[in-house]
Amino acid sequence: MDEKQIALENIKKTVTGNPVVLYMKGTPQFPQCGFSGRAAQVLKACGVTNYVAVNVLEDKGAYDYLKFYADFPTFPQCYIKGELIGGSDIMLGMYEQGELQKLIEQATAR
Amino acid sequence: MKVTPENVRDFILQGLACEHIQVDGDGRHFEAVIVSREFEGKGMLQRHKQVYQVLGDRMEKIHALSMKTWTPEQWADNQ
Repeated sequence: MDEKQIALENIKKTVTGNPVVLYMKGTPQFPQCGFSGRAAQVLKACGVTNYVAVNVLEDKGAYDYLKFYADFPTFPQCYIKGELIGGSDIMLGMYEQGELQKLIEQATAR
Repeated sequence: MKVTPENVRDFILQGLACEHIQVDGDGRHFEAVIVSREFEGKGMLQRHKQVYQVLGDRMEKIHALSMKTWTPEQWADNQ
């Protein structure tokens, strides 16, 4: 497997193995980009605390190849149950309509 | 060369028929309001992907693009 295949395989494992995943620049506590910070805040507002945040600035494979995984070229990217939800605009829009909370609730229900 | 909001606007218009488009930005962060019939029947993710597809490799030069993607009807409701 080449570098790209390995990276895509890792991404697949991460997004399908966890109910909620946020690929972002920086961390939820210390976001390195305004849009990533906004995405983390939306998740916080949804009441989800145990999501997986991947800092793409420390994950070269994700940084270089995430755009190919779901054909979406920018960070942040939020995945719920393996499906790309979108970037911060879409997350905020869905949150304002009450849709994101519902999806997260369903994904994290035991 | 630095990308201007006008560049981004023109790039989008080359591949997407818009009823209305407004792009603001500082050369790295851009905000776009895009109103197009082509968004009808599509969810937000599909709309954003469509715009990214139109921009293609030029996204490399555009650090961040915040978008509002509306159909003409949604746009009218938001006025």
